[in-house]
Amino acid sequence: MIVEMKNIIKSFGSNKVLKDVSLKLKGGEICALIGENGAGKSTLMNILGGVCKMDSGAIYLDGKKVDFDTPAQSLNAGIAFIHQELNLINDLPVYENMFLGRELKNKRGRLDLERMIYETEEVFKQMNVDLDPKIMVRDLDASYKQIVEICRAMMMNASIIIMDEPTTSLTEPEIKRVFSMMRMLKERGVGIIFISHKLNEVMEICERYIVLRDGCLVAEGNVSEVTTDDLARFMVGYDVRTERLSRDKNLGNEVLRLEKLTHETAYRDISLSVRAGEILGVTGLLGDGRSELFQSVFGAESILSGKIFLEREEIRINSTTQALDKGIGYLPRNRKENGIIKDMNILENASIVTWPLFAKRGVIDWIRHRKIFKKQVKELRIKMGKSTDSIDSLSGGNQQKVVLAKWLSANPKLLILDNPTQGVDVGAKEDIYDIILNLAKENIAVVVLSSEAQEVVRICDRALVMYHGVIQGEVSKETMNEHDIMRLATGGKLD
Amino acid sequence: MNDTKGKNKRSFFEWFQDRWIAEPLFSTAIVLLLIIVLQTIVLGFDYDSIGSWFSSWLNNWINILRNNAGIGIISLGMTFVIISGGIDLAVGSTSVAIGAVIMMLIDNGPKGILANMGITGLPAFIIAIILGVGLGYGLGTGIGILITKGKIPPFIATLGAMKIFRSLTQHFMQGYNPTVPREFLQIANFKIGKFMLMPIIYWAVIAYILYYVSKRTVFGRQVIAVGSNEKAAKLSGVNVEKVKTGVYSLMGVLVAIATIIQVSRIGSMDFANAGSGYEMDAIAAAVVGGTSMSGGRGTILGTVFGMLIIAVMNNLLNLFGVPPFLREAFKGLIVVCAVLLQKKEKA
Ligand SMILES: Nc1ncnc2c1ncn2[C@@H]1O[C@H](COP(=O)(O)OP(=O)(O)OP(=O)(O)O)[C@@H](O)[C@H]1O
Ligand SMILES: [Mg+2]
Repeated sequence: MIVEMKNIIKSFGSNKVLKDVSLKLKGGEICALIGENGAGKSTLMNILGGVCKMDSGAIYLDGKKVDFDTPAQSLNAGIAFIHQELNLINDLPVYENMFLGRELKNKRGRLDLERMIYETEEVFKQMNVDLDPKIMVRDLDASYKQIVEICRAMMMNASIIIMDEPTTSLTEPEIKRVFSMMRMLKERGVGIIFISHKLNEVMEICERYIVLRDGCLVAEGNVSEVTTDDLARFMVGYDVRTERLSRDKNLGNEVLRLEKLTHETAYRDISLSVRAGEILGVTGLLGDGRSELFQSVFGAESILSGKIFLEREEIRINSTTQALDKGIGYLPRNRKENGIIKDMNILENASIVTWPLFAKRGVIDWIRHRKIFKKQVKELRIKMGKSTDSIDSLSGGNQQKVVLAKWLSANPKLLILDNPTQGVDVGAKEDIYDIILNLAKENIAVVVLSSEAQEVVRICDRALVMYHGVIQGEVSKETMNEHDIMRLATGGKLD
Repeated sequence: MNDTKGKNKRSFFEWFQDRWIAEPLFSTAIVLLLIIVLQTIVLGFDYDSIGSWFSSWLNNWINILRNNAGIGIISLGMTFVIISGGIDLAVGSTSVAIGAVIMMLIDNGPKGILANMGITGLPAFIIAIILGVGLGYGLGTGIGILITKGKIPPFIATLGAMKIFRSLTQHFMQGYNPTVPREFLQIANFKIGKFMLMPIIYWAVIAYILYYVSKRTVFGRQVIAVGSNEKAAKLSGVNVEKVKTGVYSLMGVLVAIATIIQVSRIGSMDFANAGSGYEMDAIAAAVVGGTSMSGGRGTILGTVFGMLIIAVMNNLLNLFGVPPFLREAFKGLIVVCAVLLQKKEKA
């Protein structure tokens, strides 16, 4: 099947998001769609997926003009869509989510549970996913949810699959599996549009690329003819640095120490320490327990045994409010569920953490918050309209920047950043790295949890690698490399 | 350039439609306006005798506002509760319990508690009011703790509280009918000029304070955060339990204030029936005013409008002479229609 989108124009209010974009995709082809945060990638795909309507332009399938008013119409035409934000129903089990809207029925019109479970198991087997189809989606970690979404799209027998940043919360081995699945689909003649900010993924899996900037198509061509640096330049319009970042290290006193911290299920026997002015990386694969570990430090998860010391004093933290009072900050991963509050505007989302800190007698100091946020918008290059607009009006990457912003002004002693650059474009990523380095310079102890080995290598002084809930090993700046990290993360040892 | 051109081209109808969909407050205000116009017509607007028309119009309005002040205050608290993602079915019973306590305290018959201690008049009233408000705060906080610490769903917790408070009050007040001193009635019936405006003033002042609380204070905004995305709020350092408990405490205090107004307006209380149906009226006002039952969305001004829509509608049905039993059906109809007209919630 061949999809063609011709001269697509779309605005939200007075904001022109797509200015005359055309795109063509053939079956059996994987095409990368890349561009800065807010460039219009998701919007373009939402139009193809029937999620939103274009102002003008046309879509052709195999030369026939089509109109999609609803997502269902697009799906029926053979286009499956994996959205940027997770779209599963928490209160249903995995297998029912897999068949949402096209449930299998048996002869008497009842739901055919057995077959749905069986077919789900089959796909999981193909994808090499170790997951019980009967488990509730609510109980899944964000990465597993993403995998379920990908599997769902895979089993729809679509001829075109749109993947909007499908790998943001996945780690190396899962990404590899997704890629091998994509290659298989490609052989079968399925066309895939792949959106990602991780350019090495683009290099690995795509053969063609299309670059959007400010709603215009600025470059397209064959991936084999370019390097990641070229792609980065096309996206942001200038050369993006790639070297390892260094700074004058000036380590202060110990800020956090954990002694034999153990959780009911997620991790056990964790001992570590972080000093002021240090950037500690923690990485590992899916199910390594790093998020739960630091959520415990932040008072959002309970612990079974072990001790937490803050500035050499043993503390017990029962709530996140207490942690905040003590100077601990935690930026959660998976922004849609843990970060964004959709009934509040952009400014409110960016300042919720510091309301009580700056308030006078319980009255929020909006003037101060507005001033701080204005500066952050520049620093983080947040692309937005008014600060009182709904948070929903921001692109995914810009939402992530807003979520990050709320912690930057809190001035904690210890700041834990869980997947801080999720869905952020290459240019803004460098800005965030600079900010993290600056925080360390200001004597804040920073812990960066990341699934990207490259990110850890570039900004951390030292990194712990976790494997199934224990610390498998440690690497430090001088000798740190992606290879060693991967080795530890998969359960190996360094000699 | 193109932008401004585009704006000019947009018709009034489109603008109206956009606002209607985007702003629950806008649609509520329009509906209220329409209903008031209708009411004005029904009252027989007559240009020749505009003076007498106006005085009867004004009287009618003062009556409407005064009669609804108590429930109006309760609906404001209900707005906070619903925005936080909860519900409070116990408001009517709480009101009766508080009413009973206040009346026992100020009773000037032989069994009056304060009177027997030699305290009468203003000091007695002040003590009774403080204790009544304190009791409301306590009962509300108790419900809040039950919900947050006990992890009982708000519907169940307040349903339980509703039964308990009502039954206890009825049991202990059997055969005892306190008499409220005449001076106490001044709280609601004090006349400004020719009009008894006090309940309306209380309502307006409280509405203004709560409007400020919801827009400007940390608590008010945190309520929205908690109702919209509890997990994200928690991970932003919001003390979710404290916020949720606080919402029910506030509800308790407001119920107490509404009860004081009610007792002083009427001078007596039927412990078996008083306050029953308050919860539904309060929820209806909030919902008609654009508060979302799934939490996170709602405004104080909207609820005031919602309350007025229901009140004026009631008044209209009265003027039309619709039989009382049928009126409830109309009330139900308004609630359903109002929500139908409003912005659809995303599933
Ligand atoms: N519902 C909406 N209302 C108003 N503006 C919107 C809406 N959705 C998107 N926008 C705006 O459209 C622009 C493009 O957004 P889009 O989501 O397509 O970006 P993107 O390229 O997918 O970025 P990212 O890499 O961050 O996901 C942004 O400036 C955004 O603010
Ligand atoms: Mg996007």
